[in-house]
Amino acid sequence: MNVKRRPSPIADDGDEFHFCSTCAFSSACQSEGFNKSALEELHVLVEHIGPFREGEHIFREGDDFNAIAAVRGGTVKTYVIDTEGNEQVLGFFLPGEVIGLNAIHHAKYPCNAVALDTVMLCRFSFPKMALLASKMHGLQAQLFRLLSQDIGKAALLAGDYSADQRMAAFLIALSRRYAARGFSATRFHLTMSRTDIANYLRLAPETVSRVLRRFQTEGLIQVERREVELTQKDQLEQLAKPVLRN
Amino acid sequence: MNSYPPFDADLLRRYDRPGPRYTSYPIAPQFSDKFNEANLFDVIRRSNEDPIPKPISIYVHVPFCVSPCFYCGCNRIITRDVKRGEKYLEDLMKEVAIVAPLFEQDREVMQLHFGGGTPNFLSPEQIREFMDFLLQNFHFSTSENRDTSIEIDPRIMRPDDIAALAAMGFNRASLGVQDFDPDVQEAVNRIQSVEETLAVIKACRDSGFKSVNVDLIYGLPKQTVSGFAKTLDTVIEARPDRIAVYSYAHMPHLFKPQRQLDETQLPSGETKLSLLQLAIEKLSQAGYCYIGMDHFALPEDELAIAQERGDLHRNFMGYTTHAESDLIGLGVSSISHIGESFSQNPRDLPSWENALESGHLPIWRGTQLSEDDIIRADLIQHWMCQSEIDIVKFEDRHNIYFNEYFAEELKKLHALAEDGLVAISPTHLKATLRGRLLLRIIAACFDAYLNPSATVLQFSKSI
Repeated sequence: MNVKRRPSPIADDGDEFHFCSTCAFSSACQSEGFNKSALEELHVLVEHIGPFREGEHIFREGDDFNAIAAVRGGTVKTYVIDTEGNEQVLGFFLPGEVIGLNAIHHAKYPCNAVALDTVMLCRFSFPKMALLASKMHGLQAQLFRLLSQDIGKAALLAGDYSADQRMAAFLIALSRRYAARGFSATRFHLTMSRTDIANYLRLAPETVSRVLRRFQTEGLIQVERREVELTQKDQLEQLAKPVLRN
Repeated sequence: MNSYPPFDADLLRRYDRPGPRYTSYPIAPQFSDKFNEANLFDVIRRSNEDPIPKPISIYVHVPFCVSPCFYCGCNRIITRDVKRGEKYLEDLMKEVAIVAPLFEQDREVMQLHFGGGTPNFLSPEQIREFMDFLLQNFHFSTSENRDTSIEIDPRIMRPDDIAALAAMGFNRASLGVQDFDPDVQEAVNRIQSVEETLAVIKACRDSGFKSVNVDLIYGLPKQTVSGFAKTLDTVIEARPDRIAVYSYAHMPHLFKPQRQLDETQLPSGETKLSLLQLAIEKLSQAGYCYIGMDHFALPEDELAIAQERGDLHRNFMGYTTHAESDLIGLGVSSISHIGESFSQNPRDLPSWENALESGHLPIWRGTQLSEDDIIRADLIQHWMCQSEIDIVKFEDRHNIYFNEYFAEELKKLHALAEDGLVAISPTHLKATLRGRLLLRIIAACFDAYLNPSATVLQFSKSI
C-alpha cells in the first residue's frame, strides 16, 4: 500500500555523532565541545531504551535511582498513589523532556512513571552524568535549569484558579513545550486521557470535557478525538495568564 | 448543492456495476471474527478518555416480521408469535445492562433508532417498557435536537398507537411503501393500501413528529413506468419530508426470500433506468432536494439544510445531521461503531441469545481501523455526504500528500473524469452533477480492499 506521510512531530533519532534534535542536553554538551561520540568515550551512557508500550512502567516509586532519561518519543506520565489509595498525577513528559529529575536528591524514585503511548527514551546513567557535570559547566547549568523547571511546574496549579483558567493554562503550557522542541504550537495530539488531565488539573473528568466543549463553541479550540487545534491562542493565553504568570 | 443530477441513461448503463453502499469503511464483509469482547471493552474505555467524548447513538434491531416481503435483503424472522417479541426484549435489556455501564455517564444519547425487520411488530407497551429501561441506563439528551426514530410497517400500525410513540419521545418515522401498484404488491407479497399508509402519515403529523420518510423501491417485479408514476404522485401529494428511492438488488444467492420472486417478472435494465429517471424528474419537479445516494428531502428539512451547510453526516442509519457519534448497535445482527472500530452482533438469534445468556456481549466479528483505514473512511464519508473533497484541508487533517498517497486511485479517477463524473483540480475533487448518482462508484476507487473478482457476487448494482 502506498503510505507516504508528511513528516510528523516525533523526535528524530540522532546518530553516532549527533544528538536527537530534541535532546535536553544536546546544546549543553555541544557548547562544551563534546559531540555524542566524545561522550560515549567518556563512558557517559547515552543509551537508547524502549519501546515501552502503553501502560508499561518505566520505573516505580521506591525503585533504586540510577538514571535520568530524556523522552525521545511518546508521552510519560508520573504519578503517586496517596495514602487513601488514589492516584495523583504529577506531570506529563513530552519528547525532549527529562524524567527522573525529582529522584536526584534521593537514592530512590519518589514516584511512578508510565508510558501513555509508545515511548522511546534516552537513558543517562546518573552517577556518571553527575561526575561529568562537575567538569562541564554547561552540563551542570543545564541540569540546574531542568531541576528548577521541574520544581516550578508542580507549583503552577497549586493556586485557587477556575476550571477555565486551569484548562487554558494546560493547553498553553503544552503548546509552549511543543513549540520549544520545534513542533507545532497550535496543533497537537493529546496523548493523555481525560481522566489523567482531570486528575492533573484537580478537576472532574466531566468538567474537563465541559470546559473544552465550551472553548470549542466559543471558537478558541477545535477538538477531534484527541487532536487539538488552538484556533484563538491569544485568547487562551489571556485566560491562562494568572496561572502561568507570563 | 441542491441542483439535480441530469439523467444520462447511457452513462448509467455503463456504470451499472456492483459497488458497496459505504455505510461503513471498511465494509462489513471485511470484518474479522478475531475481534472480540475484550477488544470492544478496550475501544469503549478509550472512547471515554477522549478530551470531549463523542455523544452516543443507539440502533435497536427488531428482527421480526409478520409476513415475508420477497424483495427483502434484511436480517429478519417471520413470525406472528408475540411471545417471541417479549423474549427478545428481555434479551435486549440484558445487552443494555452489560453495555450501558461501560460508557461514562456524562455522554449523552443524541440519536436513537429502531429498525428491522419490523420494529412495530412490538406493541407500544413493549416499546415503552424498553424505552424506560434505556432511559434508566443511558443519559439521554434533553435537547430538542435529539432524534428518536422508528421504521414503521403501516400494514400493522394502528394510527392511534402513533400518539403513544410520540408520547415516549419518538419524533421521526420512516414508512415502508415500495410501490402502491397492486400487481407489484402481489408479486412481492406485500399488500398495503394507500389509505392505511396515508392514515399513518397523518397520525405522525398530528402527533407532532418532526419528520416522516417514505421508502420506495424501483426495479421490482411487474413494475411499470405508468404504475410507478401513480405511486410517486400519491406519495408526493402526501408530502413526506424525506423520500428514499432504493434500487432493488436481486441477489437470490445471498437473500433466500428473493428466491420466491418470479425472475421473469423483473423489469428490464432499460425499464429500471426509466423508473429511476421518472423518480428523479417527478421529485425534482415537486421541489425535493437530492441529498445523495437514494435520498431526497424537502428544502426545509434538516438534511437539505445540513447539506447546504456542508454539515451532513452518514452512518449505518443513513444520512444524519448529527456530528460523529459513537454508535451502539443493539440486537441481532446490529453493527456498532465505537472509536476507531466496527463490531457486529451475530446474525442468527440463537448465537446472540446464548452470548447474553452467559453474561457476555454478543460479538460476531469486527475490525480495528488501521491508519490507512481511517484516512480512507474519512475520504469516503466526505465524498458520500458532500460529493467533494477539499484536498488541502484533507492533507492537513491527515498529514499526507494527497497526490502521492492516492496516486493509484487518482489514475482510476481520471478515467471517470473523462466520462464527466468527477472534476479534478489541484485543490478539489468534485462530483459533477451527472456523477452524483454514481457516488458509490467514485468512492469505490478509494477502497483498498476491493478486488474485482470479489465484488461480483457480494454487492448489488449501483443504480
